[in-house]
Amino acid sequence: MTAREFARKIFLIDLLSGLSLTFRYQHPKEIYTEQYPLQRPEVAERYRGAPRLNVNPETNETLCIACDLCALACPEHLIVVTAERNAATRRKELTTFTYDTSRCMFCGLCEDACPTDALELTQDFELAGYTREGQIWDRQTLEHGPSPTIYPK
Amino acid sequence: MADYILGYLKQNMTPGEAGNALWAFIYILIIFGGVSTVVASMSWIERKILAHMQARLGPMRVGPHGLMQVVADPIKLLIKEDIIPDEADKAVFYLAPIIVVIAAFTTMIVIPFGPTHAVTDLNIGLLFMLGVSSLGVLGIITAGWASNSHYPLLGALRSSSQMVSYEIAMGLAVISAVLMTSMQTGVGTLSMIGIVEAQKVQGVWFVFKWFPLGIVAFFIFAVAMVAETNRTPFDLPEAESELVAGFHTEYSGFRWSLFMLGEYAAMIAVSSIATTLWLGGWMRPFASWHGPVITIPGLWDHPELGAVDFAFSLVPAGVFFLLAFFALWGTAKMPKHPIFKIQTLGLGAFGCALGFVGLVLLAPPVRDRIQDIFWFCAKIAFFLYMYIWYRGTFPRYRFDQLMKLGWKVMIPLGLGVLVLTALVGVLV
Repeated sequence: MTAREFARKIFLIDLLSGLSLTFRYQHPKEIYTEQYPLQRPEVAERYRGAPRLNVNPETNETLCIACDLCALACPEHLIVVTAERNAATRRKELTTFTYDTSRCMFCGLCEDACPTDALELTQDFELAGYTREGQIWDRQTLEHGPSPTIYPK
Repeated sequence: MADYILGYLKQNMTPGEAGNALWAFIYILIIFGGVSTVVASMSWIERKILAHMQARLGPMRVGPHGLMQVVADPIKLLIKEDIIPDEADKAVFYLAPIIVVIAAFTTMIVIPFGPTHAVTDLNIGLLFMLGVSSLGVLGIITAGWASNSHYPLLGALRSSSQMVSYEIAMGLAVISAVLMTSMQTGVGTLSMIGIVEAQKVQGVWFVFKWFPLGIVAFFIFAVAMVAETNRTPFDLPEAESELVAGFHTEYSGFRWSLFMLGEYAAMIAVSSIATTLWLGGWMRPFASWHGPVITIPGLWDHPELGAVDFAFSLVPAGVFFLLAFFALWGTAKMPKHPIFKIQTLGLGAFGCALGFVGLVLLAPPVRDRIQDIFWFCAKIAFFLYMYIWYRGTFPRYRFDQLMKLGWKVMIPLGLGVLVLTALVGVLV
């Protein structure tokens, strides 16, 4: 043991530096806890949360072309797309779109498969519900997204 | 009635000295109520300070910034079911928490909050305090035995060996301070008030006397008192990760809260021993420095006291104003939402109450009488903060490390300090 180490031990330098560290951490700016319902957590940019079916913001028409690629891409087969051919325009038009969030593992393969960027996994994370049936989202829920209670600060 | 009270207060004697049983009873009630209140608030303060040290928020929900935890915790403990194990030794099980609390509170009667603010001034006050406070270990052993369970028994065994070993180091440190009291006057004393008077006469707190002897003795005592009260880093008797809760594993509800009350009261008791012996008891910092004599008509007319005394006499009120400022600042920063209305109002009222106490402390008669009590309580508060600070910083010692520290470091160090103090005392 060198003289330096001995002095460190005698004067309890290690204990004192530990004490000073905990003392500094008492400053309010060091607090890491979030007051959740009051303070919205900041989710990572690439976070995959609640699915959303995007609409054209100008015309308010869905971007989905009912190609069924998302349903094919889904490993859990939880997306069901139905469409019918419009006789006048000869185009497929979306009638129903259901998405079972209770079985979803948020892998994001559906949004990768979508050719029109209609289906998107958003940063909304509040997916809890009171019933199993409520977890199966229809087209309207998918377009509006979940609506958690917002507590203003 | 008012004449009687004023007449008593002007006597400037402790109730024990005046032989006044009524006033002794009143003092005891005040101390019991005060210590219980401090213990209840400590539960909030400790959680809050620990939380901030660990970058957390701590209690935030029960009242503004969790302030109502002070009320909620005791209520919860009082209405909880009181379970006594079938196999327990009932009589001893009942007795154990009572012994712990009585041992902790009995020591309080000789604590000198001021030159006349003690229940009584025993001439063996220090011996009485050390003797009675070590009775607490009896309560812990009986608790561990009566529970008839493995963890409490192991906790009680650890506790008894730990407290007995550290009492030696504590005693050696205390004796070296008692030796110092005999300087200049030639007569040593064990009376708690006498020890502080000795520091007043010698003009130095014993922690600074004969550097480094005083401070080493104080250090030994500061370590031993943490071990004596079973607090982190020496909390092996109630080591949560090893022994569930140690000696009070089988206790619940009110009986458990008695153990907590006893533990915190014991913390206050040993802190006040350390304050009395080394930190000058009720004396303010720089007590022998008076500064130039000033007189402010109606506010300050003490011909023998100077400007420094006047400045220090404003500190108690200043502390309360500072607390009131923090409370009102917190009120201003509360969330603006109808559901927080009552909490905001409550915090504002709390801040105003603190400010009002500050104003009362500014009134000259109160200001002059509250000085001693304030400085004594401030020093105890310093020790209580240190307890929490240690808990937030140090990991728990292993049992052999604890014993090694006690027997191989603290006791030889204490003996060395004792011998050196005696030598210096003879030579000086």
